[in-house]
Amino acid sequence: MRALGGWIALTPELPAKLLFGRHVWDCAQHADAWGRRLPELRAPAQQSEPANDAMVAFMRQLESPEGPSQTLERIAGVYAVLKPHLVTLYARHLASANPVYEPPTRRILARCLEEERRHAAAGAIVLGRLGGDASARDRVNDWRRRLFDALAKAGGVTGDATGSLVDETLLGVAPESVASDLVETPPAFDRAALPDDLAAAVDAHRKALEATDGPGAMRWVAPDAQAAVDAAFAALVGRITATHVVGLASIGRQQIVKLRAEGAPVGALVQLRWTPTPSGWRIVAVELVSTEPVSVAR
Amino acid sequence: MDRPIAYDKLAREDRFVRMRARDVAELKVQQGLPPFPDLASRESIRERVHGIMVGELQAMEGAGRTVYDFPDAPWEFTMDMARQVWDESRHVETYLGLLEHLGGRVGEFPESTILWRCACAEDAAARVAGVNRGLEGLACDVFNQLIHIAQKIGDPILEKSVDYVLADEITHVRMGSRWLNELTRGDAERRRRAIEFQETIDERFNLGGTRQDGHHEMVPISIAKEARKLAGFTDEEIERLVKSTQRSQVY
Repeated sequence: MRALGGWIALTPELPAKLLFGRHVWDCAQHADAWGRRLPELRAPAQQSEPANDAMVAFMRQLESPEGPSQTLERIAGVYAVLKPHLVTLYARHLASANPVYEPPTRRILARCLEEERRHAAAGAIVLGRLGGDASARDRVNDWRRRLFDALAKAGGVTGDATGSLVDETLLGVAPESVASDLVETPPAFDRAALPDDLAAAVDAHRKALEATDGPGAMRWVAPDAQAAVDAAFAALVGRITATHVVGLASIGRQQIVKLRAEGAPVGALVQLRWTPTPSGWRIVAVELVSTEPVSVAR
Repeated sequence: MDRPIAYDKLAREDRFVRMRARDVAELKVQQGLPPFPDLASRESIRERVHGIMVGELQAMEGAGRTVYDFPDAPWEFTMDMARQVWDESRHVETYLGLLEHLGGRVGEFPESTILWRCACAEDAAARVAGVNRGLEGLACDVFNQLIHIAQKIGDPILEKSVDYVLADEITHVRMGSRWLNELTRGDAERRRRAIEFQETIDERFNLGGTRQDGHHEMVPISIAKEARKLAGFTDEEIERLVKSTQRSQVY
């Protein structure tokens, strides 16, 4: 619950951000149900402690990917390691909990089991959408393996787990049952959002940048803005190999065109403010947003 | 993970264009436009809805950080914040739908991060005072106005959607009122600082006189007195807010 909550702000991709946002409250209710059950079993309410130091180390490792480009690791850690493990433990506990003496525990287990299975399935869907290529799958598999190693050292979250950490046969759920866990997010930015005349100007400017044609690029910059544009692009001159329009925002009649410039050794994100003039669209301001990739979702 | 995180770590997809609210407002004024959406046209309503969608996103992110940043806070506080995360995630979904309903798209207007910055206060009491009471109180005002506009233009989808979200916002303000009191019980100085933080936010979000006391038809954003009372604001607090709007002339 806490890791998902903390990660929301650190995660660029809307599908993952909203997945975490959906599940924080479910996880809180699970923790609350267990915390309330504790005094009924002669333990202090709402007090928890880790099974052992290795479990603390596992959780620290699980929480550690906090960079903007580590969304796959974040999702994989919670949804492809921790939650499947919890599903497995809950199912085993439920199978062994006495139906006469332990209905209060069984009710909590049944609810958590059902919801964790749904969460794991929803996480797998988002993971598949964001990390469908081979290198992404390698990253996910490597991270899962490292986390499972750490979890095995702890003996699972209870510290005394026997048998496999995850029983894959418990994880399948009907796709329609996870619909409420997923938010349909809008399609990626479509450059068709640019008006035709602005698109033509932006493309001419981009082509000049890619061709290292300084005067050609500067032709699109209003005279008052040329020094600022020069300064903003100084670190990129001669290094840009490709550019992509990744965003467009309106401020009245002016348009902010966001460009991703690819090059070596680093790419950059740049926001260019275009304004209509009697001679056509011209750049009147520029902001270098970042010289590192800020997102894997384009 | 750091507790708390620096506010510039807020992560976004590339399609979002981030700018300072003040710069956006100034650029609009230079073009002879109102600094903030006046809801006089469908495009202006769309811009407001986009702004709210982004605000809900930041509210979800802020509440999520509060769940993480204060592990020693009372458990019931964490539960309330976790519930708020879920609510805000549904609000984002609602406003994504409304944006589509209005023919808009994500990233169509610049995003400012004022709300998120307010959610980065280091003290939990200041955070709930500033975000839950200051910003969610502002949401009550803005949503009340939007419902009125939706009724006026005959858009029941907009009206009903925003009305459901408003109900949640009132609950969030109530949470803020509760936790401001409980977290600062016996610590007058902490309470004073938290309330002062909320008042600076109230002042900032008077939006250069855009929020005022008055009927929906007469002012750009009307202070939603009834909704605020439902949310637990006292008459004295509402009166103080009204007075602050009368001296706020900058955005």
